[in-house]
Amino acid sequence: MAWIDVRHLTVRYPRAPRPALQDVSFQVERGETLLLLGPSGSGKSTLGLCLAGLIPDSVPAAMQGEVLIAGQDIAALTVGQRTAQVGIVFQDPEAQFCMLTVEDEVAFGLENMALPRDEMELRIRESLGLVGLEERRRERVDRLSGGQKQRLALACALARRPSILFLDEPTANLDPAARFEFFQWLARLRGQQPDTTIIIVEHILDDLIAMVDRVMLLNHEGRLVLSGAPAQVFQANGEVLDEMGIWLPQVTALARKLRAAGLPLDRLPLTVDEAEEVFAGLVPAGPLPAEPPRRPAGSTAGGPPALEARRLSFRYRAGGPEVLRDLSLAVPQGAFMALVGPNGAGKTTLALHFVDILRPPAGHVFLLGEDITALTTADITARVGFVFQNPEHQFVERTVEAELAYSLRVRRRPEAEIAQITDALLASFGLTPYRKMNPFALSQGQKRRLSVATMLAVGQRILILDEPTFGQDRNTAHALMERLQTLHVAGVTILAITHDMQLVADYAGTAAVLVDGQVRFQGTPHALFADEELVAAAELRPPPLVELARRFGLRYGDGTAPLSIREWMGLLQGAPAAGGPAKRG
Amino acid sequence: MEGLLNYYAADSFLHRLNPTIKLAGLMALVVAVTMAFDPWTPLAFLTLGLFMLRVLARVPVRQFIRPLLLFLVLGALGFISANAFFYTPLPGRPVTILWQAGGVRIILEGIRVGISLTLRMLAIVIFSMVFVATTDPTDFVLSLIQQARFPFRLGYGILVAYRFMPMWRTELEIIRAAHRIRGAGERPTLRGRWEQLQRYAVPLLASAIRKSERVAIAMDSKAFGALPRRTYYRDVHVRPMDWAFLAGCVLAAAAIVWGMAQLGLLEGYGVVPEA
Repeated sequence: MAWIDVRHLTVRYPRAPRPALQDVSFQVERGETLLLLGPSGSGKSTLGLCLAGLIPDSVPAAMQGEVLIAGQDIAALTVGQRTAQVGIVFQDPEAQFCMLTVEDEVAFGLENMALPRDEMELRIRESLGLVGLEERRRERVDRLSGGQKQRLALACALARRPSILFLDEPTANLDPAARFEFFQWLARLRGQQPDTTIIIVEHILDDLIAMVDRVMLLNHEGRLVLSGAPAQVFQANGEVLDEMGIWLPQVTALARKLRAAGLPLDRLPLTVDEAEEVFAGLVPAGPLPAEPPRRPAGSTAGGPPALEARRLSFRYRAGGPEVLRDLSLAVPQGAFMALVGPNGAGKTTLALHFVDILRPPAGHVFLLGEDITALTTADITARVGFVFQNPEHQFVERTVEAELAYSLRVRRRPEAEIAQITDALLASFGLTPYRKMNPFALSQGQKRRLSVATMLAVGQRILILDEPTFGQDRNTAHALMERLQTLHVAGVTILAITHDMQLVADYAGTAAVLVDGQVRFQGTPHALFADEELVAAAELRPPPLVELARRFGLRYGDGTAPLSIREWMGLLQGAPAAGGPAKRG
Repeated sequence: MEGLLNYYAADSFLHRLNPTIKLAGLMALVVAVTMAFDPWTPLAFLTLGLFMLRVLARVPVRQFIRPLLLFLVLGALGFISANAFFYTPLPGRPVTILWQAGGVRIILEGIRVGISLTLRMLAIVIFSMVFVATTDPTDFVLSLIQQARFPFRLGYGILVAYRFMPMWRTELEIIRAAHRIRGAGERPTLRGRWEQLQRYAVPLLASAIRKSERVAIAMDSKAFGALPRRTYYRDVHVRPMDWAFLAGCVLAAAAIVWGMAQLGLLEGYGVVPEA
C-alpha cells in the first residue's frame, strides 16, 4: 500500500481565475524522497498545504478529490491528527517562527500536541541533535544565520515525528555554502530515518539530486505532467523542461546540450560522479588553450573608474563592529562585476555607499572620478541606478507607467520626453501590456523587470543590483541576465551583488570577493573558482563543472578550469570520441 | 533611544520573580506615586525605583542613564517651563512672581508643580524600566496565560508581534533608502510627511500582510490550537517570594506616603497644603 495516495485532487483558491491544482493523482511509498518541480504558480506549495490538511481549514480554498495517508482519508481526521502526519519547512526563514529562542520554538509544536514536559525535553534534544543545533538551544532565533534558521525549522518539524516531511524551497533564501550544508544534513537524516517520506520543492538541484528517488513535474496549469526517476525525467523531456524554466543540475544540462549537438551519450549524468564516468571518453587529452575564452566585453571606455571606494571604513554605530575595514575597490567603466562573499561580509553596505544612502566622509568614495560628497542627490541618482533585492521596496506609484515616469517627473522633464522614454522602456522590458496595472499586482518576474527598468529611466550608465536572480525560476532569471548582458554590451557598467554561482560563472566578466569587510580577491571568475581556499573562505560553492574539471585534471594554461556550459561544449565537441586517438593537432 | 525598553538578561532577585505578580507590585507603586502632587514624595519613590533597578535588579547604570536623562530633559523643558509660565493658582491663593515682563511672568508655584510632574514621570519610567529590564518577554506572556488566564491565542499573537518588531524597523529603513534612490526625497512639512507615510505604508503593509499570513500558516502546520488544551514547556511558577514582593511594594508605598505626611511634605491624597 502506498503511504501517500492522492486521487484526482483539484484545488481552487477563492477569486482565482483557474484552479491551482487540477486533477492531480499520484502515489508515494513510505521512505521515498520525491522532488517536486514546476514553474512558479504551478501549485507545488498548494500540494504541501493539502497533504498537511491546512487546506481548507487554515487556508481557504475549495478542494475536490481525496488525499489518503497510510490508507486513511485525511478529510476524516481531526486537525491535530492531520498535522501530526506532515511536518513542513517553509521557504522564508524570517516568517515561520513565533517564539524567541531555539528551544521554545521546538517546544511550541510539542506543546500544541499537549505532550508532557519530560517527553518534550527528550524530543527537543533529539531533534536539535539531528540538525546540529544542540549547542544553540538557548540562543535567540533572530541571532541564527539563515542556514541555521532553516535547520531549526527542520528540527521543529522532526520533533513532532511526522511520517512525511514537506520541504517547500527550504534553501531558496540561503547562500550557496548554507544550501550545501542544509542538503548534507538532510542526506544524513535520510540515512538515520529511512522510514520518513520526504517531498521537496527546489530549484537548484546540483547538491540535492543524488538523494532524490523520483521527480514529479507540475505544469503552469497545476497538472501533473511527468513522474519518474530523475535521469528518466530529465532525459526524455527536454523541451517540456526548457519551456517551464526548470533548472537542471549543471552536468545534466551540459549532457543534454551535447546530445542535442549529436554526441552519443549512453545516459544522462546527474551528479559530478556520474558525469566523470559518462564524459570520460570525451575529455580532450591535449592541453587546453593558454587562457579561458573572453566574455563579450562592454565598450571599455577607459577614464576614471565608474565606482570606486578608497580606504573606506564603516560601522553602523559608534563602538559597533566594523562592517567595512579600510576597503578599496574600483569598478572600471563598462565592467560587469559580480560582488560575492558570505552574508554579513559588507556587500550591501558597500553598495549603499555608492549611492550615498550611507554617507562616507570626503575622499573615500568616487563616482566617475568625482568625490561623491561633492555631488548632489540628483547628480548621483542620474548616474547610478540601484535595484533592491525586493522590487516592491522601490515602488512609489500606482501604475507601471507612472512608476517608470516617476524619476523623470521628479526632475521636471517635459511630458513629451517622459512619454517617449516610458514607452521605450515598456517595450524593451516587455511590460507594455501591463502599463496600467498596479506594480504590486505584477508577477515576481515582471516586478523585477520593472524595478530594473525604472533604474534606467533617467539614463543611468551604472547599475547596481542586489541579488538580481534571487528566488526566480530559470526562464525569468535567464531573461533578466540576458537583458543585463545586452546593457553591458551597450556600455552600461554593472555591479551585481549575488549568491548565484551560475550568474558569476556565465555572465560576470570580473568578480570581487568580500570577506569581513575587505576585498579578498578581484579578478576573473575563472581565477576565483581556481582558488579553493578563497572559495571556502567566501562561503561559495564552485559550479559543478569546475569540480568536474578538477577530476579530469582539465586546466587552461593559466591554471584555471573551464566553468560554463558554453566552454565545456567547445571542449567536448572538439574532442575525439571514446577510444579515439589521444593527440590532436 | 536604543536600550530604552529592553530586557536585560541577568539573574537577580527581580529577574526570578513571577512576571504577573511583579507587574502587580510595580503597578501599586505607580498608582501610589501618581496621587502625590508635591515634589518630595515622587522623589522618594524615584529613589526607591533606582534602588530596585540598580541593587535588586543589578542593572548597570549605563543601561538606564541615557533614557533617564532624556526624560529628565523632556520633563524640564515641557512640564517645568509650561507650568512656570501658565500656572493657574487655586482661587484665593496668592502666587509668588519671580520675574515679570509685559504679560509674561514666571511663577514659583508653577515651577514647583512642574518639578513634581517631572519627578512623577521619572518615577513611572523607572518602575517601567524595572519591569521591562527584568522580565523575559516570553515568560511574561506565558505568565499572563498561566496565571492571569489570558487567552493563549492572543498571548502568542503578542509574542509573534514582538518578534517581528525589529524586522519592521529594518524594513522601513530599506524602503526609505529605496525611495531616496528613486529621487523621492523626504520633506519635513506636514504635507510631505503625510505623502511619505502613504508611500512607505503600501510596501510595508504588503510585506506585513504576507509575513503574518506565512507565520499563521506555519503555526497552524504545527497544530496551534488544534487541541483544546496545550501543555507548556516552560512553567512559570508562583512562589511565596512573589507574594512577599507584592506585599513589600504595597507596604513601601504606604510607608513613603505616611512618612511624607508625618514630615508635612505630602500634598495630594486629600492633603491640601496650608496657605
